[in-house]
Amino acid sequence: MIENDRSDDEALKARLERLASALQNKRNEEPRKSASDDASASTTGRALNLGVRVLSEFVAGIIVGLVIGLVLDNWFSTKPLFLIVFLAFGTAAGFYNVYRIAAGPQARNGGSS
Amino acid sequence: MAASAGNTIDPIHQFQVNKIVPINLFGQDVSFSNASLFMAIVVLSILGLMVYGTRKQALIPGRLQAAAEMSYEFVAATVRGSAGQEGMRFFPLVFSLFMFVLFSNLIGLVPYTFTVTSQILVTFAFAALVILTVLLYGFWRHGLHFLRLFVPSGVSPALLWFVMLIEVISFLSRPISLSVRLFANMLAGHITLKVFGGFVAMLMGAGAWAALAPLPLLGVVALTALELLVAVLQAYVFAILTCVYLNDAIHPGH
Repeated sequence: MIENDRSDDEALKARLERLASALQNKRNEEPRKSASDDASASTTGRALNLGVRVLSEFVAGIIVGLVIGLVLDNWFSTKPLFLIVFLAFGTAAGFYNVYRIAAGPQARNGGSS
Repeated sequence: MAASAGNTIDPIHQFQVNKIVPINLFGQDVSFSNASLFMAIVVLSILGLMVYGTRKQALIPGRLQAAAEMSYEFVAATVRGSAGQEGMRFFPLVFSLFMFVLFSNLIGLVPYTFTVTSQILVTFAFAALVILTVLLYGFWRHGLHFLRLFVPSGVSPALLWFVMLIEVISFLSRPISLSVRLFANMLAGHITLKVFGGFVAMLMGAGAWAALAPLPLLGVVALTALELLVAVLQAYVFAILTCVYLNDAIHPGH
């Protein structure tokens, strides 16, 4: 009886291990699968999407700089000063947005390492 | 889409908001417009798909149930993929946004309908909702540590203030790019369709030139296919960027 229990335990343990390794394999596979899905998606759609994304991110940075500059100028009545400064910052932010798209999601901590 | 009654074809006309039932509440104009009508249609069709599709809960799903389950699984995979398991607490938000944008885009492709997402106010409201969620959740969850989102690691102290300023402007530009992208895609696509449709009508009325009329008609057919792709793609992009921004709120400063 006890012998039987032990073998049951071992069988169960072996089974658990097998399931765990299968699960791990599946987890490892999943990101790769989604990556290949992306690659096989319509290239025209992807290119179009990327183009519009880069454009909108770039323009949005400049617009934010413009608005901040105008508002600060309005507050301190220093008409063109902050507008010029923040337009430059906004353009830099726009380029930074584009850089982040091009460099991918690892860009944020990739700079330090 | 080429169905303008007069000789002149106005490609902007389709974006006009008309009041159907004028309502004035406490001095505010809250009229029921064609935009409200199509928002209601969009919400009702999503409800219809979800409630009617999953009503049987069959083990082997029918077509509607398969569509409902696929949309759930697709959005769930997107959220898990880009915001992690913890991002699933925002699943209702992302799913609602995705379905609403997707259905607005698709319903807007039907001739004589109104495209809700071609209004910058609507898309900006969605983007503002996303960014406010990110800000509120970020500060609630991490307190002032959330601000580390704007402090990149490994930058020399002399340049730090400049990089932080750029990061803040970049963060502020997110709702603008998110809303402008969806709005511009829808607006440009619908105007292009209308203009090509207008070419057909104009060529038909130009005597012998009518022989050329099938050319822009073919263009309209191809553009409609492209617009269908763009409609689905933009809904997906909106959802995935929402997830990416929410990921920043869950794990700032890494």
